[in-house]
Amino acid sequence: MLVYILKRIVYIFCILAVMSVLIFAITQALPGNVARMILGEFATVDQIQAIEEKLRLNDPLPLQYWRWVSALLTGDLGDSLVMERPVAPLISLSLQRSAILAFMSLFCVASIGITLGVIAAVKHNRAPDYGISFFSYLGISVPEFFWGILIILFFARYLGWIPATGYVPLSEGFGTWLSHLIAPVATLTLTLLANISRMTRSSMLEELGTNYVTAARAKGLPERVVLFRHALRNALLPTITVLAVGVGWLFGGIVVVETVFAYPGMGRMLLFAIEHRDLPLIQAGILIITAIYSLSNLSADLLYAYLNPRIRYGRTIA
Amino acid sequence: MTDPNNILEVNQLSLAYDTSYGSLVALDDVSFEIKKGECLGLAGESGSGKSTVARAILGLLGPEATIKKGSLMYAGADLRELSPEEQRSIRGNKISIVFQDPFTALNPSLTIGAQVAEPLIFHKGMSKSEALEKAVDLLASVGINRPREIIKAYPHQLSGGMQQRVLIATALSCDPDILILDEPTTALDVTIEAQILDLLDELCRTRQLGVLFVSHNLAVINRLCERVCILYAGRVLEYGKSSEVFSQPRHPYTKGLIASLASLGSEATNNRLTPIPGGLPDMTALPANCVFQPRCPFKESKCASEIQHLATMDDGRTVRCWKAQKEANLRWTDLPSDHGDVPQKQKASFQPSEKGFIEASNLTKTFSSEGILSELVAKLSKLHVFRDLQRSPHVKAVDGISLAIAPGEVIGLVGESGCGKSTLARCMVRLIETTSGEIFAEGKEISREPERKLKHFRQSAQIIFQNPDSSLNPRKTVGQIIKRPMVLFGLSHNAELDRRVSELLEMVRLPPAYAERYPHQLSGGEKQRVGIARALATSPKFIVCDEAISALDVSVQAAIINLLQDLKEKLNLSYLFISHDLSVVAHLSNRIAVMYRGIICEEGVVEEVLRPPFHPYTEALLSAVPRFDDKTAETTRIRLKGDVLAMAETSRGCRFHPRCPRKIGKICEEITPPVVESASGHRIACHLLTDEK
Ligand code: SF4
Ligand code: SF4
Repeated sequence: MLVYILKRIVYIFCILAVMSVLIFAITQALPGNVARMILGEFATVDQIQAIEEKLRLNDPLPLQYWRWVSALLTGDLGDSLVMERPVAPLISLSLQRSAILAFMSLFCVASIGITLGVIAAVKHNRAPDYGISFFSYLGISVPEFFWGILIILFFARYLGWIPATGYVPLSEGFGTWLSHLIAPVATLTLTLLANISRMTRSSMLEELGTNYVTAARAKGLPERVVLFRHALRNALLPTITVLAVGVGWLFGGIVVVETVFAYPGMGRMLLFAIEHRDLPLIQAGILIITAIYSLSNLSADLLYAYLNPRIRYGRTIA
Repeated sequence: MTDPNNILEVNQLSLAYDTSYGSLVALDDVSFEIKKGECLGLAGESGSGKSTVARAILGLLGPEATIKKGSLMYAGADLRELSPEEQRSIRGNKISIVFQDPFTALNPSLTIGAQVAEPLIFHKGMSKSEALEKAVDLLASVGINRPREIIKAYPHQLSGGMQQRVLIATALSCDPDILILDEPTTALDVTIEAQILDLLDELCRTRQLGVLFVSHNLAVINRLCERVCILYAGRVLEYGKSSEVFSQPRHPYTKGLIASLASLGSEATNNRLTPIPGGLPDMTALPANCVFQPRCPFKESKCASEIQHLATMDDGRTVRCWKAQKEANLRWTDLPSDHGDVPQKQKASFQPSEKGFIEASNLTKTFSSEGILSELVAKLSKLHVFRDLQRSPHVKAVDGISLAIAPGEVIGLVGESGCGKSTLARCMVRLIETTSGEIFAEGKEISREPERKLKHFRQSAQIIFQNPDSSLNPRKTVGQIIKRPMVLFGLSHNAELDRRVSELLEMVRLPPAYAERYPHQLSGGEKQRVGIARALATSPKFIVCDEAISALDVSVQAAIINLLQDLKEKLNLSYLFISHDLSVVAHLSNRIAVMYRGIICEEGVVEEVLRPPFHPYTEALLSAVPRFDDKTAETTRIRLKGDVLAMAETSRGCRFHPRCPRKIGKICEEITPPVVESASGHRIACHLLTDEK
């Protein structure tokens, strides 16, 4: 087991190394002269040369890459070109805000999705099942920004229950803080819900057909025990894997949702960085997202292994 | 209620399933009763409705099933009339069940203790700790050692035999009146089956349980049950004392069933089996009156025109056939014709003079978790890496085996599951690579040949698997399936192909029109015939039959066995015949090789190996087989403890020593017994041999 975890961690580092090369290469390929982007249209040749000198943009690419990576390894993410501040605190702040969004959405997706999946499986091929299928497909087939706009129009503009956009720090009161989160979280949840509920439904259906569920019924156990203790416990295992993949979709969704709701998180920051050719910011941001994604997959696998006694206790004893 | 001793009475039960084809009568007028302390056998092939009966008693029928008629009387009440809540309180408490496959009947993510204790908590209102205490006692009472450790284990950590004991303990936890056993030993090895049957026998006697034993295996029922009820297509055809029913069957179906069984008795081995012609009936279109009609050789016009009632015979049994009393003594084999089958033929005594067609020499196959292969597997499936890492790095599935098969020879390969017999077979046809050793095909070494040079070998060596369903492509017609290997090897072309397909279909006795059908339109026996036809398409010289007939019903099995035998004689084929069913192996083979943990511990001509057995392991295997013909075996029976997988790896001495009932002493633990070969080619690896001299 330990060997396995170590292997996976080494694997993650390999991915990060490859990604760093890719990211570096892509950012170099972005159109436009960096120095000119920073200084604006009317910069003089001298000014450009000065800044290129300062940032050592004329060094050979491998050397530039090496400088970037070695700085990364010492924990130095570089300075933002546009904001002229270190990247690390910038990213950390927006990452925190995005993380709140992500965790809340993930929590909603998991709890609501699993519940709906179980209901659909138990009421298999009856009205609730069809209803849930219909709405979860509706959720998945409409893009985030559409839901986002719809929510803003209805709940914020028409009913006026929640603020339309923006972000307020927690220090301004829990209620206001939360009210700003509702709309983006709801939007993200809507779009991810379908996968989880479909997955739970199908694995739950599979579980309900297993021999051990029949055996549990034959023991005369109450139906709720059969459902939750015998079926759901096993049905959740594949759902965990899907949730981990969901983290990947979540990143995509977050960029859109943060833009729609003017929420100052990672997604918005990245967009800003790309618009302004802020290379260090782009590079660090993408690398961090890659790391988070790999780690979330690893933790899902470990959780899966932990919850599955067939993996946790391998040995035959009698 | 007629007899106060009856704890369960099933009266004229009729049951139908709603299917897309309309209503399907699964049970029709089924009646039987179970007395206290009695074990009733319910025998039948697939589709007979035997499991439906069990489910009906437990109230576990799905919503598609409706009971049309009849009653299920238990403790003075009709189980059918109870509310779902009342039914639930009886289930697992007063009436409990053990299912066929212990591997799947236990929940993989709950501990054994939790699963055994559950009924106690819900029916007896025990606290969790009380229930777990009781679970420990229960596990001990079904012969599980170290029960305190076992309750903390998870199902996958136990062997099949242990798992089945756990399920039996669970079923007995609330002290039920009735125990239903639904094919409880079918998924287990004979040695383990024998242990479980002994346990059940003892439990029946000591606990005054009423047992309903559902099985397709007549010999097992004969071993355990006083009375037996023979079901066919949802009807009771014969019902009476097991001893009488099995020794003098009255209903033509029972007669046919018994005639189709391969027997271990010496006189029967050389005979052809007499299968029941045709296949299991289509439940949606059953023949009128007598359901057995289309397959019955005794049929007369009266069979179709008159309703067949269960009639009581002079010896008290009931039979559903109007001719049963009149022609009680007419035997299945006395029939005027052999239904077009080849007449009785003696198995030619085989002279292994010729050079082996295929020969394995010192073959070893090690499965290891290191290496490129497992890296690949690890990438494909994350799960496997977990499992392998915890397993010991090297598993020697085949450990230095030499085996030669001559043209026209059948070698039967027997041994418990996990002994490596399938691995050996797959190595010999190079489906998997060997670790070391050599394979000669027609004198040519092929174990290291690259795939592109194997074309000729691939054509001459084929394999037939156990499950015809998974090996036939469901989207291809039978004709396309059979043509594929011929096209692949460029054997025939165009019109020639079609002619060859009908020829092959005829060879396996299927009508040529079947070429147009899809696999799902065929019955199990027919699918296996297609599998055989496909294997024959390349005109092979050697065929591996890996449990090729094990999944088939008895009445269908016999026909396939005969077919394999005929084909062998006609085409001079060699088979490596793998089966857990020793009777079938003995029936079909010239020689038998007995495998134990990766080695062959005894090999030789059938007569020499089995009559009488010499090697203690062969002896144990043989005595574990429940039999009709040999009642004395019951008393002289020897029992193996434990099973292959559960035993710790023995690095020194005889591999069998931890379980060997005849172990001599230190020598068995320390020194690997050498293989001694007699003049007739009988090879034995056991110290007893040298000890006696
Ligand atoms: S009733 Fe006729 S067809 Fe049916 S089993 Fe008896 S003899 Fe055969
Ligand atoms: S060598 Fe010893 S332990 Fe092995 S089978 Fe023979 S008697 Fe038994």
